[in-house]
Amino acid sequence: MSAADPQQTQMKAWLVAVAQRDATAFRELYEATSPKLFGFLQRILQRSEWAEEVLQESYVNIWNNAGKYEPALAAPMTWMTTIARNKAFDALRRHDAAVEIDADGFAQEVAQALESSAPSPLAMLELSEDAAALAHCLRRMEALHRQAIALAYYHDLSHGEVAAQLELPVGTVKTWIRRGLERLRSCLSKQELA
Amino acid sequence: MNHRNLQRNDRLREQLAAGYVLGTLKGGARRRFERWLAVDQLINQSVTRWESRLGPLAEFTRPIEPPARVWQGIEQQLRFHATPAQAPAWRRLHSSLSFWRGLGLAASALAAVLATVLVLQPQPQGPAPSPTSVAMLAADNGQTVVAVSGDAKRITVRVVSVAQVAADRSLELWAVPTQGAPQSLGLLSENGAVTLALPENVTPQTMPVLAVSLEPKGGSPNPHAPSGPILYKGAWLRI
Repeated sequence: MSAADPQQTQMKAWLVAVAQRDATAFRELYEATSPKLFGFLQRILQRSEWAEEVLQESYVNIWNNAGKYEPALAAPMTWMTTIARNKAFDALRRHDAAVEIDADGFAQEVAQALESSAPSPLAMLELSEDAAALAHCLRRMEALHRQAIALAYYHDLSHGEVAAQLELPVGTVKTWIRRGLERLRSCLSKQELA
Repeated sequence: MNHRNLQRNDRLREQLAAGYVLGTLKGGARRRFERWLAVDQLINQSVTRWESRLGPLAEFTRPIEPPARVWQGIEQQLRFHATPAQAPAWRRLHSSLSFWRGLGLAASALAAVLATVLVLQPQPQGPAPSPTSVAMLAADNGQTVVAVSGDAKRITVRVVSVAQVAADRSLELWAVPTQGAPQSLGLLSENGAVTLALPENVTPQTMPVLAVSLEPKGGSPNPHAPSGPILYKGAWLRI
């Protein structure tokens, strides 16, 4: 987590103000972050009306729990996406719905995000410093390992379910994910030191 | 696999924390891990770090502007237009004081244990007399973050967890009375311990709660009220 990212500093200030029941700061936080969370929720839920419902639930939860946010421990975006992601998976369980997993479309989006963190190409997405660091590390990983991790993250899949999606033996997928995560960890800690 | 294995085995703990955050840890193993997570600070920190590592995955999807009705729904649900001006943070802290009083009895057993631990740790400023008061300040999630021990004249405040504070911020310690304004006791050192002198009127009897707020560098501009949010709080007990 970088303390110097001005975008992050602004979001932290908003969250701290929201904890003190500042509705104006909350509105500003919503304006700045809701497109990212909405895009993320649509990707998970695949249905716009569910994504809207969960987006609303997530921000109500953010308002109610901002006092528990610890600026020293987590980046604001990470804290908010953790809330949104949990709410999204809750909604899927509530609707007892299985979404169609579009592994290829997702791979494209990730590829795009990865390119945008490279120095020259046009930035498609405004990535935070944390996300740029993650993109850098994911780019150094084998594509299938990366896809296995992303599938699990976005769709709450078990090792077995990821294996079924990728049509690979579960043992292989388990090993890939474990090694992928280990590499990610060591790569990110090197980035932090850099 | 059991909790003790996890405490001893860093690699296993990291693996499970990663699986928990990623979502591949499921069923009984997940529920068991959640129980340990609730009580074990090492596991908790490990999970927080994995959330920080993997959380930015959410940013790799294309942003989509949500329709205006979502904000309207939020406004309605939170009844923004009807909300009166809110009390400052330390007043809200007061309103939870009764909770801390109730906690007093249960906490004293814990406090005795803590006092022993603190005495066994090397003191930064020469040998200290045995403490006569202790406090453990915790975040809202229950995680203990700051340990305090002291006698009638001074207290030693030790930041237990490895939390980092932004360079332009300070952590400030407050003594909170049952009635009236809190009193600043000084700034905390992020890593390690700091010893603060106690004003004469400040004792666990008059000020039963200690709290830490996040402030601009150098502390709150007002010595009688935190200007930032209360991050940690806990009962201050005589032992």
